Amino acid sequence: MKPTPDPNQPNWTEQARSLLEASTQSLDAATLSRLNRARQRALAVAQRPANALRWAPGLAAAALLLAVLFWWPYPKHSPAEARAPTLLPEDAELLAEGEFEMTDDPEFYAWLDADGEHNG
Amino acid sequence: MAHDQRILAPTMAAQRVTDLDWMSRDEVQAATAKNHLDRFLRSVERRALRIAELSVGHRDEALDLVQEAMLAFVRNYAGKPEAEWPPLFYRVLDSRVTDWHRRSQVRGRWLAVLWPTRDDEEDTDPIAMAVDAAETGPLARLASENAGEALDAALRQLPLRQRQAFLLRIWEGLDVADTATAMRCGEGSVKTHLWRALNALRTALEAHR
Repeated sequence: MKPTPDPNQPNWTEQARSLLEASTQSLDAATLSRLNRARQRALAVAQRPANALRWAPGLAAAALLLAVLFWWPYPKHSPAEARAPTLLPEDAELLAEGEFEMTDDPEFYAWLDADGEHNG
Repeated sequence: MAHDQRILAPTMAAQRVTDLDWMSRDEVQAATAKNHLDRFLRSVERRALRIAELSVGHRDEALDLVQEAMLAFVRNYAGKPEAEWPPLFYRVLDSRVTDWHRRSQVRGRWLAVLWPTRDDEEDTDPIAMAVDAAETGPLARLASENAGEALDAALRQLPLRQRQAFLLRIWEGLDVADTATAMRCGEGSVKTHLWRALNALRTALEAHR
């Protein structure tokens, strides 16, 4: 960056700037070499994120696999599914014993009505 | 032999083109970004070293601080727009220099005598802050061979914040807003620090004459 002279600054600051700039041109070779190594080290750091991105697809796949394994044994049911009628074991036993034939007996329903009124 | 070279040259050029074709778009972008970073760091490294050296007084320590600043800048700000890089880089360097001074003060309280902390935050009269641009200044009255050494000595005597304000505004050419970003303070403080730095330098250089 080459600064432009600021008219609000005193003239002697331009001379100060020139003196400081000249001091950077007289740095010895060892110092310049260390500056170069420092810059190269910093640039090497700048490249690491790009290398890390190469592992991103593999990491994403591993995360997806873990998520599937974690959630698979616990499937979630919707509220509608929760309200759906299910066949309980005792119902299955009644059906197996043929007691569902009571549903065809009108006296049974009459008894149910009478019992309801009596208790109600 | 010459005939072989004429045949080989286009072949090698074609090989380079093929290598470029094999680079992915991401790799090309990464290489371009690295080139821009390299160019920027090259453009600031010498001034950064001198700024750090004037602040800590030792070239080896200054080199360490510049290296730390480069690493931290690349890690934290390389993704920012290039126009924002100069104040951000000097912000990191300023932070490292400030940390160095804190560590030094913890190591030995006697160093506080050499680098007294001064309260530079108070406001000053804006009329008094006006400068006489026509004044030739103290450096013009110094012999040219001594001017650089005298300026170095005067800069080392300045309080840290005044020196940073002078170097960033006058030498690096940052504007007031960018200098405030680099120094992590308000623009009013930058003006105050700079005004005091100019006065202190003038006094020191005139005394050096």
